[in-house]
Amino acid sequence: MLFLTGKSLTAWISQLTMDRTVIAPVKGANDLVFFQPVTGSEAIFIKSQNAALSPKDWFFPRSEAIMSFVTKNGKTQIIPAVMEKDAVIFGIRPCDARAISLLDKPFLAEPADALYQERRNRTTLVGIACVTVCQECFCTSMGSGPADPKSLDILLTPADGGFAVQVVTDKGKRLLEKAITQDKELVLPNPPEVKTVPSSGVTEAMRKAFNNIYWDRVADRCIHCNICSFVCPCCYCFDVRDYKEKDKIQRVRSWESCESALFTRAAGGHNPRPSKGARMRQRFAHKLLYFPDIFGDLKCTGCGRCVKNCPVNIDIREIISDVQKLARE
Amino acid sequence: MSQPIRDKARELLQTKKVECVIGWERATDGVTARPLFVYDIKDVDRLIFDQTCVHNLSRYLRDRKDKTTAIVAKPCDARGINMLLNEQQLDRQKLFIIGVVCQGVNERCWGQADARQQERCQWCRQHVPPVYDFLVGEKPASEPSAPSYPDIAEFEKKSPEERRAFWEEQYQACIRCNACRHSCPGCYCQECFAENLDPTWVGIRIAPAESQIWNLVRAFHLSGRCVDCGACEQACPVNIPLMLLNRKLQKDGIDFFGFEPGLSAETAPPFATFKKDEKLEGGE
Repeated sequence: MLFLTGKSLTAWISQLTMDRTVIAPVKGANDLVFFQPVTGSEAIFIKSQNAALSPKDWFFPRSEAIMSFVTKNGKTQIIPAVMEKDAVIFGIRPCDARAISLLDKPFLAEPADALYQERRNRTTLVGIACVTVCQECFCTSMGSGPADPKSLDILLTPADGGFAVQVVTDKGKRLLEKAITQDKELVLPNPPEVKTVPSSGVTEAMRKAFNNIYWDRVADRCIHCNICSFVCPCCYCFDVRDYKEKDKIQRVRSWESCESALFTRAAGGHNPRPSKGARMRQRFAHKLLYFPDIFGDLKCTGCGRCVKNCPVNIDIREIISDVQKLARE
Repeated sequence: MSQPIRDKARELLQTKKVECVIGWERATDGVTARPLFVYDIKDVDRLIFDQTCVHNLSRYLRDRKDKTTAIVAKPCDARGINMLLNEQQLDRQKLFIIGVVCQGVNERCWGQADARQQERCQWCRQHVPPVYDFLVGEKPASEPSAPSYPDIAEFEKKSPEERRAFWEEQYQACIRCNACRHSCPGCYCQECFAENLDPTWVGIRIAPAESQIWNLVRAFHLSGRCVDCGACEQACPVNIPLMLLNRKLQKDGIDFFGFEPGLSAETAPPFATFKKDEKLEGGE
């Protein structure tokens, strides 16, 4: 099996940072771990379980100028956004990589989102298998697992003195050319046990439970704060607005949430989703009903961030179980 | 303390005095708490109260303005009720307050049974709700002493440059999810300045300048109104110490106006009143 010692990993990362943007988990303010560009391996912190936010931010930034307009001497020029260098995301977990493969479906569907597509084509994903699990994880119920290589280019598994290396794609193979690897006899431990949720058949159950009063009752305690959408690795709603500065206009796209009352309010004041219950159901229906109807997969990776962060404990695992029960009634 | 709350809730629902009781129940991690709306007597035994009940439930009352509701209220929830009553957001006649004596609540840490007590609770002197219809728990013999702000005094020792650097790092983490706003009983504007289009006070960009404006204006809009419940800070997914800002404004409210929000429904906050002859000493 291919093996990278800790030392050769450090050397590899330093080399990668010379001509690429390397994004890796870094411990930031208040001890939270975020994916950030690094200039070497020193700041990288891979011991944490899930980072506070997934690296979705790299492909679908919280805010970005999707294009600019400059007017000079009466002439208007449109300047598209450009990506400077190729990139590597190091230390992404299998669930977050799965989220990116889910984001591919809407963003790369014809006509593809050009910015997303360019970042996707020019970014290599180097994942690290989970050897421990968080108590809120349920990745195996959502089409992935703690050591799932599927959505990655390279999977590293922590082993004595370094990492076992599994090359998944040609892109990964090319990236690894610069690393000093060795062959080693290794027996990898079994991936850790992950708690499950009854996700099988939940799409049909959602259809049956769609008009149940259940949604209003759960929404009672929802404070429509948007945390769930903002920490979700596969939520992708956005708002677009123009920023004007002197002769330059920037068209800015920023994350938005279906939980926000203004998200669907139309000119004239009509809101097709006027209540908290309607908005909360929308979020779960998008994940468990509409997205699978259109693209075939549940739009959830079981990372557990919404479960952990919801201030009022609206727990998607409980919702899935409840919906299954309601559908049987 | 849970049993008397359940008994009272059962009685209120049985006699149809209220349609709904808002309290807390155990969350799905088995250790923290979550808000619970009880409409049916069969659910009253789910109600609990302990140091994990961190939310400010008064935040929900405006959603039920026209309906009869009972609410389990810690002192800071009750202060939220007073603030909302003073601002004419609630109908006292439709409200039944089950007050609970509180010795402080913990940090909301998902799945952690050993979460420590919130820092603000260590300085809190208000252990009995300032308004209630029925009280659960032993009333302490002495009246509450004046509030103290040693945390703020400590922070004020830093130089302006140090404070700026500190907050810049904090705002950098802000993802503008607005959870601070939605967890707060005092943030209820129909159209928040952050979403106002004409004029646009702050754009939609999730970037340091916008985050800074958002966080500062949010805090300022609660000056003289913040009831020190910590709901915003407990909700923040990136752990911004929002109470440090809020408590600074609380302290200024006491120092300049001798006013503590939410202690009574009768007294309006200083920025909601204007007297022709009023003048602030030592400032413009």
